Amino acid sequence: MAEGDISFDPNRNYDDETLSLQREIEKEIAENQELIGPMQPIEELIEHYAKEDQIYRHKLMDLRKRHSHIRKVRGDGNCFFRGFGFAYLESLLTDEAEFARFKDIAVKSKDNLVALGYSQFTIEDFHDTFMDVVGQVEKKVSVDELQNVFNDQGISDYFVVYLRLIVSGHLQKESDFYSSFIEGGRTAKEFCSQEVEPMGKESDHIHIIALATALGTCVLVEYMDRSGEICNQLVFPEEGARPAVHLLYRPGHYDIVYSLTSD
Amino acid sequence: MASMEKRLQKELQAMTKDPPPGVQVDQESCSRVMNEWIVDLEGATGTLYEAEKFQLQFKFGSKYPFDSPQVTFLGPNIPIHPHVYSNGHICLSILTEDWSPALSVQSVCLSIVSMLSSCTEKKRPPDNAIYVKTCSKNPKKTRWWYHDDTV
Repeated sequence: MAEGDISFDPNRNYDDETLSLQREIEKEIAENQELIGPMQPIEELIEHYAKEDQIYRHKLMDLRKRHSHIRKVRGDGNCFFRGFGFAYLESLLTDEAEFARFKDIAVKSKDNLVALGYSQFTIEDFHDTFMDVVGQVEKKVSVDELQNVFNDQGISDYFVVYLRLIVSGHLQKESDFYSSFIEGGRTAKEFCSQEVEPMGKESDHIHIIALATALGTCVLVEYMDRSGEICNQLVFPEEGARPAVHLLYRPGHYDIVYSLTSD
Repeated sequence: MASMEKRLQKELQAMTKDPPPGVQVDQESCSRVMNEWIVDLEGATGTLYEAEKFQLQFKFGSKYPFDSPQVTFLGPNIPIHPHVYSNGHICLSILTEDWSPALSVQSVCLSIVSMLSSCTEKKRPPDNAIYVKTCSKNPKKTRWWYHDDTV
Protein backbone atom coordinates (compact mmCIF):
# COMPACT_ATOMS: atom_id res chain seq x y z
CA MET A 1 0.00 0.00 0.00
CA ALA A 2 1.32 3.38 -0.94
CA GLU A 3 2.35 5.69 1.82
CA GLY A 4 -0.21 8.35 2.47
CA ASP A 5 -3.04 6.15 1.27
CA ILE A 6 -5.51 7.20 3.91
CA SER A 7 -9.09 6.05 3.83
CA PHE A 8 -11.92 7.27 6.02
CA ASP A 9 -14.67 4.88 7.01
CA PRO A 10 -17.65 6.92 8.21
CA ASN A 11 -19.02 3.91 10.10
CA ARG A 12 -16.00 3.59 12.32
CA ASN A 13 -15.74 5.61 15.48
CA TYR A 14 -12.11 6.77 15.36
CA ASP A 15 -12.31 8.76 18.60
CA ASP A 16 -13.44 5.63 20.44
CA GLU A 17 -10.57 3.65 18.99
CA THR A 18 -7.99 6.28 19.86
CA LEU A 19 -9.27 6.55 23.41
CA SER A 20 -9.37 2.80 24.00
CA LEU A 21 -5.83 2.50 22.67
CA GLN A 22 -4.81 5.24 25.08
CA ARG A 23 -6.43 3.33 27.97
CA GLU A 24 -4.54 0.17 26.97
CA ILE A 25 -1.22 1.99 27.00
CA GLU A 26 -2.02 3.49 30.42
CA LYS A 27 -2.95 0.04 31.72
CA GLU A 28 0.26 -1.48 30.45
CA ILE A 29 2.33 1.23 32.13
CA ALA A 30 0.39 0.74 35.38
CA GLU A 31 1.02 -3.01 35.32
CA ASN A 32 4.74 -2.60 34.77
CA GLN A 33 5.60 0.25 37.09
CA GLU A 34 4.41 0.97 40.62
CA LEU A 35 3.47 4.57 41.41
CA ILE A 36 6.62 4.69 43.55
CA GLY A 37 9.06 1.86 42.93
CA PRO A 38 11.71 0.31 45.20
CA MET A 39 15.17 1.74 45.69
CA GLN A 40 17.63 0.23 43.21
CA PRO A 41 21.35 0.76 42.64
CA ILE A 42 22.03 3.10 39.70
CA GLU A 43 24.04 0.25 38.11
CA GLU A 44 20.81 -1.62 37.41
CA LEU A 45 19.73 1.27 35.24
CA ILE A 46 22.87 0.98 33.14
CA GLU A 47 21.80 -2.50 32.05
CA HIS A 48 18.69 -1.01 30.46
CA TYR A 49 20.73 0.81 27.88
CA ALA A 50 22.30 -1.04 24.99
CA LYS A 51 26.08 -1.35 24.86
CA GLU A 52 25.99 0.78 21.74
CA ASP A 53 24.22 3.59 23.54
CA GLN A 54 27.45 5.29 24.54
CA ILE A 55 25.94 8.69 25.31
CA TYR A 56 23.54 7.41 27.97
CA ARG A 57 25.99 4.89 29.39
CA HIS A 58 28.58 7.62 29.70
CA LYS A 59 26.11 9.94 31.38
CA LEU A 60 25.01 7.25 33.80
CA MET A 61 28.62 6.71 34.83
CA ASP A 62 28.79 10.44 35.41
CA LEU A 63 25.58 10.34 37.46
CA ARG A 64 27.01 7.43 39.44
CA LYS A 65 29.74 9.74 40.76
CA ARG A 66 27.15 11.74 42.68
CA HIS A 67 24.20 9.40 43.18
CA SER A 68 24.08 5.80 44.37
CA HIS A 69 20.43 4.79 44.00
CA ILE A 70 17.34 5.42 41.95
CA ARG A 71 13.65 4.99 42.77
CA LYS A 72 11.46 4.82 39.70
CA VAL A 73 8.17 6.69 39.51
CA ARG A 74 5.26 5.72 37.26
CA GLY A 75 5.16 7.72 34.03
CA ASP A 76 1.60 9.00 34.14
CA GLY A 77 2.20 12.73 33.74
CA ASN A 78 2.26 13.17 37.52
CA CYS A 79 5.77 11.83 38.05
CA PHE A 80 7.30 15.14 39.10
CA PHE A 81 4.63 15.80 41.74
CA ARG A 82 4.51 12.22 43.02
CA GLY A 83 8.28 11.80 42.95
CA PHE A 84 8.84 15.11 44.69
CA GLY A 85 6.13 14.35 47.27
CA PHE A 86 7.56 11.00 48.22
CA ALA A 87 11.21 12.08 48.25
CA TYR A 88 10.48 15.21 50.26
CA LEU A 89 8.42 13.40 52.90
CA GLU A 90 11.04 10.66 53.04
CA SER A 91 13.67 13.30 53.82
CA LEU A 92 11.41 14.78 56.51
CA LEU A 93 11.25 11.43 58.32
CA THR A 94 14.77 12.15 59.58
CA ASP A 95 14.65 15.94 59.87
CA GLU A 96 12.41 17.14 62.66
CA ALA A 97 13.19 20.84 62.39
CA GLU A 98 12.43 20.89 58.67
CA PHE A 99 9.29 18.84 59.27
CA ALA A 100 7.97 21.37 61.78
CA ARG A 101 8.59 24.20 59.32
CA PHE A 102 6.90 22.31 56.49
CA LYS A 103 3.90 21.28 58.59
CA ASP A 104 3.23 24.89 59.46
CA ILE A 105 3.18 25.84 55.76
CA ALA A 106 1.05 22.81 54.91
CA VAL A 107 -1.58 23.67 57.53
CA LYS A 108 -1.81 27.31 56.44
CA SER A 109 -1.84 26.52 52.72
CA LYS A 110 -5.56 25.72 52.76
CA ASP A 111 -6.60 29.21 53.80
CA ASN A 112 -4.42 30.71 51.07
CA LEU A 113 -6.23 28.65 48.47
CA VAL A 114 -9.68 29.44 49.80
CA ALA A 115 -8.71 33.13 49.79
CA LEU A 116 -7.87 32.78 46.09
CA GLY A 117 -11.45 31.75 45.41
CA TYR A 118 -11.29 27.95 45.37
CA SER A 119 -14.40 26.38 46.78
CA GLN A 120 -13.92 25.46 50.40
CA PHE A 121 -15.25 21.93 50.29
CA THR A 122 -13.16 20.71 47.36
CA ILE A 123 -10.01 22.21 48.89
CA GLU A 124 -10.84 20.75 52.29
CA ASP A 125 -11.30 17.32 50.82
CA PHE A 126 -7.81 17.30 49.33
CA HIS A 127 -6.23 19.12 52.23
CA ASP A 128 -7.58 16.58 54.74
CA THR A 129 -6.01 13.66 52.87
CA PHE A 130 -2.82 15.64 52.36
CA MET A 131 -2.55 16.30 56.10
CA ASP A 132 -3.28 12.61 56.82
CA VAL A 133 -0.21 11.70 54.79
CA VAL A 134 1.82 14.42 56.50
CA GLY A 135 0.60 12.93 59.79
CA GLN A 136 2.16 9.60 58.80
CA VAL A 137 5.53 11.34 58.64
CA GLU A 138 4.94 12.88 62.06
CA LYS A 139 4.28 9.37 63.41
CA LYS A 140 7.64 8.42 61.92
CA VAL A 141 6.45 5.50 59.84
CA SER A 142 9.11 3.46 58.08
CA VAL A 143 10.19 4.29 54.53
CA ASP A 144 8.45 1.10 53.36
CA GLU A 145 5.20 2.19 54.98
CA LEU A 146 5.48 5.60 53.36
CA GLN A 147 6.03 3.85 50.04
CA ASN A 148 2.84 1.84 50.62
CA VAL A 149 0.92 5.03 51.29
CA PHE A 150 2.17 6.48 48.00
CA ASN A 151 1.28 3.29 46.15
CA ASP A 152 -2.32 3.49 47.32
CA GLN A 153 -3.69 5.21 44.24
CA GLY A 154 -6.61 6.86 46.04
CA ILE A 155 -4.44 8.54 48.67
CA SER A 156 -1.51 9.12 46.33
CA ASP A 157 -3.62 10.93 43.72
CA TYR A 158 -5.26 13.10 46.38
CA PHE A 159 -1.77 14.06 47.52
CA VAL A 160 -0.73 14.90 43.95
CA VAL A 161 -3.85 17.01 43.42
CA TYR A 162 -3.07 19.03 46.50
CA LEU A 163 0.54 19.65 45.44
CA ARG A 164 -0.81 20.81 42.07
CA LEU A 165 -3.14 23.19 43.90
CA ILE A 166 -0.26 24.58 45.96
CA VAL A 167 1.61 25.32 42.72
CA SER A 168 -1.47 26.86 41.15
CA GLY A 169 -2.12 29.02 44.20
CA HIS A 170 1.49 30.18 44.30
CA LEU A 171 1.62 31.02 40.58
CA GLN A 172 -1.58 33.03 40.82
CA LYS A 173 -0.53 34.83 43.97
CA GLU A 174 2.85 35.74 42.48
CA SER A 175 1.54 36.21 38.95
CA ASP A 176 3.47 39.47 38.47
CA PHE A 177 6.72 37.57 38.84
CA TYR A 178 5.75 34.45 36.89
CA SER A 179 3.79 35.98 34.01
CA SER A 180 6.92 36.49 31.89
CA PHE A 181 7.68 32.73 32.09
CA ILE A 182 4.24 31.68 30.90
CA GLU A 183 4.09 30.74 27.24
CA GLY A 184 1.38 31.50 24.74
CA GLY A 185 0.21 34.84 26.10
CA ARG A 186 -1.91 33.17 28.75
CA THR A 187 -2.71 34.66 32.14
CA ALA A 188 -1.43 32.86 35.24
CA LYS A 189 -4.96 31.69 35.92
CA GLU A 190 -5.38 30.27 32.42
CA PHE A 191 -2.01 28.59 32.61
CA CYS A 192 -2.90 27.01 35.95
CA SER A 193 -6.24 25.68 34.80
CA GLN A 194 -4.69 24.22 31.63
CA GLU A 195 -1.21 23.08 32.69
CA VAL A 196 -1.10 22.79 36.47
CA GLU A 197 -4.40 21.70 37.98
CA PRO A 198 -5.49 18.90 35.62
CA MET A 199 -4.05 15.51 36.59
CA GLY A 200 -1.55 14.04 34.17
CA LYS A 201 -0.29 17.36 32.81
CA GLU A 202 3.50 17.21 32.70
CA SER A 203 5.71 19.54 34.68
CA ASP A 204 8.22 22.07 33.47
CA HIS A 205 10.75 24.33 35.22
CA ILE A 206 8.01 26.73 36.23
CA HIS A 207 6.13 24.01 38.13
CA ILE A 208 9.31 22.96 39.94
CA ILE A 209 10.32 26.50 40.89
CA ALA A 210 6.82 27.30 42.10
CA LEU A 211 6.48 24.19 44.25
CA ALA A 212 9.96 24.50 45.77
CA THR A 213 9.42 28.19 46.48
CA ALA A 214 5.91 27.75 47.88
CA LEU A 215 7.16 25.11 50.32
CA GLY A 216 10.40 26.95 51.02
CA THR A 217 12.54 24.01 50.00
CA CYS A 218 15.00 23.25 47.23
CA VAL A 219 15.10 20.66 44.43
CA LEU A 220 18.09 19.42 42.44
CA VAL A 221 17.42 17.96 39.00
CA GLU A 222 19.98 15.97 37.01
CA TYR A 223 19.14 16.38 33.33
CA MET A 224 20.04 13.42 31.18
CA ASP A 225 19.34 13.83 27.48
CA ARG A 226 21.23 13.16 24.25
CA SER A 227 23.12 16.44 24.14
CA GLY A 228 26.52 17.05 25.77
CA GLU A 229 28.83 14.69 27.64
CA ILE A 230 27.63 14.80 31.22
CA CYS A 231 24.35 15.37 33.08
CA ASN A 232 23.43 19.00 33.64
CA GLN A 233 22.46 19.78 37.19
CA LEU A 234 19.96 22.50 37.94
CA VAL A 235 18.89 23.63 41.37
CA PHE A 236 15.45 25.17 41.90
CA PRO A 237 15.22 27.87 43.10
CA GLU A 238 18.72 28.89 42.08
CA GLU A 239 19.68 30.59 45.32
CA GLY A 240 18.19 27.74 47.36
CA ALA A 241 19.80 25.98 50.30
CA ARG A 242 20.87 22.33 50.34
CA PRO A 243 18.43 20.47 48.05
CA ALA A 244 16.05 18.23 50.01
CA VAL A 245 14.97 16.34 46.89
CA HIS A 246 17.10 14.98 44.05
CA LEU A 247 15.43 13.99 40.80
CA LEU A 248 16.70 12.50 37.57
CA TYR A 249 15.10 13.88 34.42
CA ARG A 250 15.10 11.92 31.20
CA PRO A 251 13.05 13.44 28.36
CA GLY A 252 9.44 13.49 29.51
CA HIS A 253 10.02 11.80 32.85
CA TYR A 254 11.26 12.26 36.43
CA ASP A 255 12.58 9.60 38.81
CA ILE A 256 13.97 9.99 42.33
CA VAL A 257 17.73 9.64 42.89
CA TYR A 258 19.71 9.41 46.12
CA SER A 259 22.97 11.23 46.52
CA LEU A 260 26.12 9.46 47.73
CA THR A 261 26.72 11.85 50.59
CA SER A 262 23.36 12.65 52.11
CA ASP A 263 22.27 9.18 53.21
CA MET B 1 -13.90 3.85 45.96
CA ALA B 2 -16.15 5.40 48.57
CA SER B 3 -14.45 8.77 48.12
CA MET B 4 -16.70 9.41 45.13
CA GLU B 5 -19.89 9.12 47.18
CA LYS B 6 -18.50 11.17 50.02
CA ARG B 7 -17.51 13.85 47.57
CA LEU B 8 -20.91 13.87 45.86
CA GLN B 9 -22.65 14.23 49.22
CA LYS B 10 -20.57 17.32 49.93
CA GLU B 11 -21.24 18.69 46.46
CA LEU B 12 -24.96 18.24 46.87
CA GLN B 13 -24.90 20.07 50.19
CA ALA B 14 -22.95 22.94 48.67
CA MET B 15 -25.27 23.16 45.65
CA THR B 16 -28.35 23.16 47.86
CA LYS B 17 -27.02 25.66 50.36
CA ASP B 18 -25.20 27.99 48.01
CA PRO B 19 -26.29 27.50 44.38
CA PRO B 20 -24.88 29.75 41.64
CA PRO B 21 -27.47 32.29 40.40
CA GLY B 22 -30.04 30.73 38.08
CA VAL B 23 -28.96 27.18 38.95
CA GLN B 24 -30.92 24.61 40.91
CA VAL B 25 -30.36 20.90 41.53
CA ASP B 26 -33.35 18.67 41.03
CA GLN B 27 -33.25 17.04 44.47
CA GLU B 28 -35.54 14.26 43.40
CA SER B 29 -33.16 13.16 40.64
CA CYS B 30 -30.24 12.79 43.08
CA SER B 31 -32.27 10.85 45.59
CA ARG B 32 -33.04 8.24 42.92
CA VAL B 33 -29.43 7.54 41.95
CA MET B 34 -26.58 9.40 43.55
CA ASN B 35 -24.41 9.37 40.42
CA GLU B 36 -26.92 10.96 38.05
CA TRP B 37 -28.15 14.48 38.64
CA ILE B 38 -30.48 16.81 36.82
CA VAL B 39 -29.70 20.49 37.19
CA ASP B 40 -32.14 23.23 36.17
CA LEU B 41 -30.62 26.29 34.59
CA GLU B 42 -32.08 29.65 33.69
CA GLY B 43 -30.55 32.04 31.14
CA ALA B 44 -29.15 35.14 32.87
CA THR B 45 -30.90 38.51 32.61
CA GLY B 46 -29.56 40.80 29.93
CA THR B 47 -28.27 37.91 27.77
CA LEU B 48 -29.60 36.23 24.62
CA TYR B 49 -30.98 33.41 26.76
CA GLU B 50 -32.81 35.58 29.31
CA ALA B 51 -35.60 33.68 31.09
CA GLU B 52 -35.06 30.56 28.94
CA LYS B 53 -35.09 27.35 30.95
CA PHE B 54 -32.65 24.52 30.33
CA GLN B 55 -31.80 21.21 31.92
CA LEU B 56 -28.34 19.72 32.37
CA GLN B 57 -27.64 16.10 33.08
CA PHE B 58 -24.57 15.18 35.14
CA LYS B 59 -23.31 11.61 35.20
CA PHE B 60 -20.51 10.73 37.60
CA GLY B 61 -18.27 7.71 37.05
CA SER B 62 -16.63 5.72 39.85
CA LYS B 63 -13.39 7.66 39.36
CA TYR B 64 -15.01 11.03 40.00
CA PRO B 65 -13.53 13.56 40.90
CA PHE B 66 -10.42 12.28 39.10
CA ASP B 67 -12.46 11.76 35.95
CA SER B 68 -14.65 14.61 34.80
CA PRO B 69 -18.42 14.24 34.99
CA GLN B 70 -20.31 13.60 31.77
CA VAL B 71 -22.39 16.74 31.24
CA THR B 72 -25.03 17.25 28.54
CA PHE B 73 -28.06 19.43 27.93
CA LEU B 74 -31.28 17.47 28.18
CA GLY B 75 -34.94 17.79 27.37
CA PRO B 76 -36.96 19.85 24.97
CA ASN B 77 -34.93 23.05 25.09
CA ILE B 78 -31.29 22.68 24.00
CA PRO B 79 -29.71 26.14 23.84
CA ILE B 80 -28.80 27.30 20.36
CA HIS B 81 -25.17 28.17 20.89
CA PRO B 82 -21.96 27.79 18.81
CA HIS B 83 -20.57 25.29 21.37
CA VAL B 84 -23.72 23.28 22.00
CA TYR B 85 -24.74 20.52 19.58
CA SER B 86 -28.39 19.81 18.93
CA ASN B 87 -28.07 16.46 20.75
CA GLY B 88 -27.09 18.32 23.92
CA HIS B 89 -23.33 17.71 23.78
CA ILE B 90 -21.23 20.66 24.95
CA CYS B 91 -17.79 21.58 23.67
CA LEU B 92 -16.15 22.95 26.81
CA SER B 93 -12.52 22.22 27.68
CA ILE B 94 -13.02 21.80 31.45
CA LEU B 95 -15.32 18.84 30.72
CA THR B 96 -12.46 16.83 29.24
CA GLU B 97 -8.85 17.97 28.83
CA ASP B 98 -8.78 20.79 31.33
CA TRP B 99 -10.81 19.02 34.00
CA SER B 100 -9.24 19.14 37.44
CA PRO B 101 -10.42 17.30 40.57
CA ALA B 102 -10.57 20.68 42.29
CA LEU B 103 -13.43 21.70 40.03
CA SER B 104 -16.99 20.82 41.02
CA VAL B 105 -20.59 20.71 39.84
CA GLN B 106 -20.78 24.32 40.95
CA SER B 107 -17.83 25.43 38.87
CA VAL B 108 -19.06 23.49 35.84
CA CYS B 109 -22.48 25.17 36.12
CA LEU B 110 -20.83 28.58 36.45
CA SER B 111 -18.74 27.95 33.33
CA ILE B 112 -21.79 26.88 31.34
CA VAL B 113 -23.81 29.91 32.48
CA SER B 114 -20.93 32.20 31.56
CA MET B 115 -20.51 30.44 28.19
CA LEU B 116 -24.18 31.14 27.43
CA SER B 117 -24.04 34.68 28.77
CA SER B 118 -21.12 35.74 26.60
CA CYS B 119 -22.77 34.52 23.39
CA THR B 120 -23.46 37.22 20.80
CA GLU B 121 -25.28 35.20 18.13
CA LYS B 122 -27.56 32.22 18.55
CA LYS B 123 -26.38 29.54 16.16
CA ARG B 124 -25.38 25.87 16.13
CA PRO B 125 -21.76 24.76 15.71
CA PRO B 126 -20.81 24.66 12.00
CA ASP B 127 -20.28 20.85 12.10
CA ASN B 128 -23.50 20.12 13.95
CA ALA B 129 -25.13 17.90 11.32
CA ILE B 130 -22.20 15.54 10.83
CA TYR B 131 -21.26 15.47 14.51
CA VAL B 132 -24.72 14.55 15.74
CA LYS B 133 -24.87 11.75 13.17
CA THR B 134 -21.49 10.20 13.93
CA CYS B 135 -20.67 10.93 17.58
CA SER B 136 -20.62 8.51 20.47
CA LYS B 137 -23.44 8.78 23.00
CA ASN B 138 -20.93 9.86 25.57
CA PRO B 139 -19.48 13.32 24.78
CA LYS B 140 -16.38 12.44 26.80
CA LYS B 141 -15.51 9.98 24.05
CA THR B 142 -15.21 12.81 21.58
CA ARG B 143 -11.77 14.27 21.10
CA TRP B 144 -12.71 17.90 20.98
CA TRP B 145 -10.87 20.70 19.29
CA TYR B 146 -11.23 23.78 21.41
CA HIS B 147 -10.92 26.35 18.71
CA ASP B 148 -12.35 29.50 20.13
CA ASP B 149 -12.44 30.46 23.78
CA THR B 150 -13.90 33.87 23.17
CA VAL B 151 -17.41 32.75 22.18
